[in-house]
Amino acid sequence: MPLWWPLVLASLLFAIGVYAVLVRRNAVLVLMGVELMLNAVNINLVAFDAWFRDVLHGGQTLALFVIVIAAAEVGLALAIVLRVFRTHGHIEVDRLRELADRDLDPSTGSGRRELDRRGVR
Amino acid sequence: MSWVVLLLVVLPFVSAVLSLWVGHRGEVAERGIAVGAAALGFVLAVAVALPHLGDAEPLSHVFAATSAVGPPIELAFHVDQLSALMLLLAHTVAFLVQVYSLGYMAGDPRYPSYAALVSVFTGSMTLVVTADDLWALLIGWELMGACSYFLISHHWELPEARAGAVKAFLMTRTADLGLLFAIIVLGVRFDSYRISTIMGEIATGGFGRDDLWLPALLLTAAVVGKSAQFPLHTWLPDAMPGPTPISALIHAATMVAAGVFLVARAYPLFLSAPVALTTLALVAAVTMFIAAVSALFTGDLKRVLAWSTVSQLAYMFGALAVGAYEAGVLHLLAHGAFKALLFLAAGSVVHAVGTTSMSAMGGLRGKLPDTFITMTIGFGALAGVVPLVGFFTKDAVIGAVWEAAHEGHLVWPWVAWLLLVSAVVTAVLTVAYSLRAWLMVFFTPPVVEPVETPAATPERADLHESPLSMKVPLYLLTIPTVLGGLLVAYPGVAFAEVEHTLVHPTTAVLMTLLVAATAAVVYLLWRRHGGRDPWHPFVLPHPAVDRVYDVGVVRPVRLLARAVRAGDRDVIDGYADGAGATTRGLGWLLRRAQNGNVQAYLMVVVVGACAIAVAAGVAA
Amino acid sequence: MTWVQVVFVLLGLVAVGSALLVVTTRNMVHAALWLVVTLGAVAGVYLVLAAEFLAWVQVLIYVGAVVVLLLFALMLTRAPTGPQTDLDARRALPAAGVALLVAAVLVTTVVAGFSEVTLDLDQAIVGSAEMTGATVFEKWVLPFEVLSVLLLAALIGAIVLSRADTAGAEDDEDAAAGSSDTADTADSRGRGGR
Repeated sequence: MPLWWPLVLASLLFAIGVYAVLVRRNAVLVLMGVELMLNAVNINLVAFDAWFRDVLHGGQTLALFVIVIAAAEVGLALAIVLRVFRTHGHIEVDRLRELADRDLDPSTGSGRRELDRRGVR
Repeated sequence: MSWVVLLLVVLPFVSAVLSLWVGHRGEVAERGIAVGAAALGFVLAVAVALPHLGDAEPLSHVFAATSAVGPPIELAFHVDQLSALMLLLAHTVAFLVQVYSLGYMAGDPRYPSYAALVSVFTGSMTLVVTADDLWALLIGWELMGACSYFLISHHWELPEARAGAVKAFLMTRTADLGLLFAIIVLGVRFDSYRISTIMGEIATGGFGRDDLWLPALLLTAAVVGKSAQFPLHTWLPDAMPGPTPISALIHAATMVAAGVFLVARAYPLFLSAPVALTTLALVAAVTMFIAAVSALFTGDLKRVLAWSTVSQLAYMFGALAVGAYEAGVLHLLAHGAFKALLFLAAGSVVHAVGTTSMSAMGGLRGKLPDTFITMTIGFGALAGVVPLVGFFTKDAVIGAVWEAAHEGHLVWPWVAWLLLVSAVVTAVLTVAYSLRAWLMVFFTPPVVEPVETPAATPERADLHESPLSMKVPLYLLTIPTVLGGLLVAYPGVAFAEVEHTLVHPTTAVLMTLLVAATAAVVYLLWRRHGGRDPWHPFVLPHPAVDRVYDVGVVRPVRLLARAVRAGDRDVIDGYADGAGATTRGLGWLLRRAQNGNVQAYLMVVVVGACAIAVAAGVAA
Repeated sequence: MTWVQVVFVLLGLVAVGSALLVVTTRNMVHAALWLVVTLGAVAGVYLVLAAEFLAWVQVLIYVGAVVVLLLFALMLTRAPTGPQTDLDARRALPAAGVALLVAAVLVTTVVAGFSEVTLDLDQAIVGSAEMTGATVFEKWVLPFEVLSVLLLAALIGAIVLSRADTAGAEDDEDAAAGSSDTADTADSRGRGGR
C-alpha cells in the first residue's frame, strides 16, 4: 500500500476539520472540527510509524498521547462551553465579540458598560 | 582716559537697566536715575571731548580682541576731533532731552521704559561715534534702529505710531544691509575691521580712483537709509507720532546724525571713490528740494520740522560730497543745536495746545512767551538769519558748493552746479516754510478748536507756559544757536587743520538778500490771505515715492506672503495632515479586522499559514 | 489491489464521507453521531496500519468518552434536537475555499513527498498492548508522567471553570455563607497545582 494513501486521507480529514472550525457557529460543533483535525494528525503518526518501524515506536506512542491530550482538551472545552452558556445564554462563537475593538462612546455606552449590561464580569 | 570712554559707553546701558528695575516703584528715584545718568554722561563726554578738540592727537585704545579665524574683532575706541564733537552734541542733547522729559512726560505711565530707551539710544550713539571697530559700530548702529522703533511706537495705541515705527524700522533696516556688506567687503579687502587702520591705509594712498567703489557705494546706501535721504526719506516724517523729545533726539543728535557721521568717519574712503560722492551729491540735491517743498505744504508742525531735517541733512551730505568736510560737520552740529531747540519748543507748543496741527495753533505769542522767543531763534537759525548759527554753517556749505562748481575736482562740475542751484532754491524754500510755520503758530488766529485728547488739553483760555524743566533746556539750547557762528569763524578750535576758509562773503551777502526778499514775499502773501496759510488753496499730494514703494514693494511682498501662507497651509500642512489622515485610515481599516469574531481571525491565520507553506514550497 | 488496500480505501471513504456529514449536517445530534462513524472508521484505519492497541484506545476514549462528553455539552447547552438552519456562519463559501486550499496544500505536499514510498504492512510491527505498554513504560515514561500531570491540571481546570462561584464570581450570599469553603477550594487548588 502506498504511503500517500493514509496521508491523503489525513489531509482530507484535516481540511474538513478546518472547515468545521471556520464555519460552524455552535461551539460544540467547532469542537467536533477540532477532534477531526486531531484524528487526522493521528492517522499521519500511525502511518509513519508503520513506515519507520523504529524501536521507540514514536508514531503510535505519540498518537496515544494525542488521544489523551484530546480527552483532556475536550473536558476543558466542555467546561468553557458550559461557562459561556451560563454567562451569555448561548454558545454561538461569532456572537462572542466582547474583545472587538470598538469606540468607547459615552453616549452609546462604553464597551465596559455594555459588558455590564450583558452581565459579563 | 580710554577707561572713561568705556564708562561713557556702558553708563547709559547701566542706567537703562536701573531705570527698568526701579520702574514704577519710586518715581523720584526713577527720574533721578534717568537725569543723573544723563548728567554724568554729559560731564564725562565733556571730559573726553575737550582734550581731543583742536589739533590734539586722537585717542586710540584696544580693550580686547577676538582671536578667531579672520581679522580680529576688537573692542576698540578711537576718539578724534569728529568723535569729540559728536560726543558733545549727543550727550548735550540727550541730557537736555532727559531734563525736558521730566516736564513733558510727567504722568506718562510708560516713563520708565521711555527713559531707559532714551538712555540706550544715547549709549548706542556713543558707541557708534567712539567705536574703532566696524562691528562695534554696526552694533551701535542697529541698536539705534531698534531704539528708534520702540520710541516712535511709544504711543502704540495709536495706529499711525505703530505704522510709523514699522516703516522706520523696515526702511532703515533695509539700508543697514549696505553697512553690513560694506563691513564684510572692507574686512576682506584690508584684513582688518579697525576703522582707523583702514582709513589710514586709504589716506596714505595706494588705491586708484574708484578702486573702492563697492564699499563706498554700500556705505552710501546705508547712510541714505539712516539719514532719511531720497529715496528712503519718507520714514522720518512718518516717525512723528513719537513723543516730541524723541524727535529732538532722533533729528538732532543720534539717529539721522549717525548717517552724516559715518560719511565723515569714512571720509578717506569716500574721497577715494568719487562715484560714491557723486551719488551722494545727486541724492542730496534731490532730497533737499523735495523735502523743502514737502515742508512748505504740510499742515503739521512736527512734520514741517521733520521735512526740514531731511532737507538740512541733504545740505550736510551735499557739503561732504564736494569735499567740504568741515562745513558738513559744522552744519551737522549747528543743525543739532537748532533742531533740538525747535523740536523741544514745538514740544512745548504741543504740550500746551494738545495737537500738532498748525491750524489749531495761532496767536500763541502772548500765551507762550518763552516758547515764542526760543522758537523764533530756532526758526531764524533754520532759515539762515544773520547772525544765528544756521546762517554761518549754511553759508559755509553753499560757499563750498559754489567753489566746487567753479573749480572742484571731486565731482563733475554739472553735479556741483545742480547741487548749488538746489541748495539756493532750498534755502529760499527754507525761509518760506520757516516763516509760514512761525506765523501760523504764533500769529494767525486758530481756525480749528484744539482737539480734546485725554493727555492734557486745557481750555484755550488757560493755555499755560510749560514748566521750568522744559523751559530751561530751551534757553540753554539758544546759547549754541546764537553763538555757534563763532565756531565757523574760528574752526581751529575744533578741527586740526582747515584747508578752506569757511566764510564766503559773496554768497553770504547774496543769501542774506535772498532771505530778506523771500521773507518779505511770504509776509505779504500772508497778509493778503488775511493772516492765514499764505498759500491756502494749494495742497501737496501724498509723496509719490510712497506710492511707488506700495506698488513695487509692499504689495508684491504681501502677495508673496499670501502665497507662502497658502503654500504652507495647502502643501506643507497637506503632508502633515495627509500623514495623519493616512494613519487614521489605515487604523480604521485595521480596526475593521478586529471585529471580535475569532473564526474570522482564524481564517486569516489559516490562509496565511497556507501562503507561507506555498511560498516555502515554491522557494524550495 | 490486496484486500488490505480495499479495506483501507473503504474505511477512508467512510471516514471522509461521514466527516463531511459531521460538518454539514443541520442537526447537531446527528453531527455527533456521524462523528462516531468517522472516529470508528479512523479506528479501523489504525487497525489496518497495524496499530492495534491504538485502535481500541480510539474506540474507548473517542467514541466512548469524547463523543459522550460532546453530547453532554449539547444537552447541557439546551441544543435543539431538530434540524437547524443557522448552524453555519454566512462565510461558508470562503471557508470552504480556505478548507480546499488547506487540502490542496497538504495533499500536494504529501503526494509530492511520499509518492515513492510503499508500506509493507506484512513486515509491520503490530502495536499490541504488550508492545505499546513496554514502549511507553520503558522508553516514554517521563513524557507519560508529564502527561499525567497535564491531565490532572486539565481535570482541576475543568472543575474550576464549571463551578459557578469561582474566579471572583462569588455571589454575595455565597461569600457570606462560607468563606471557609472558598478557602478550602483555593487550598485544594493550590495542592492540585503542585
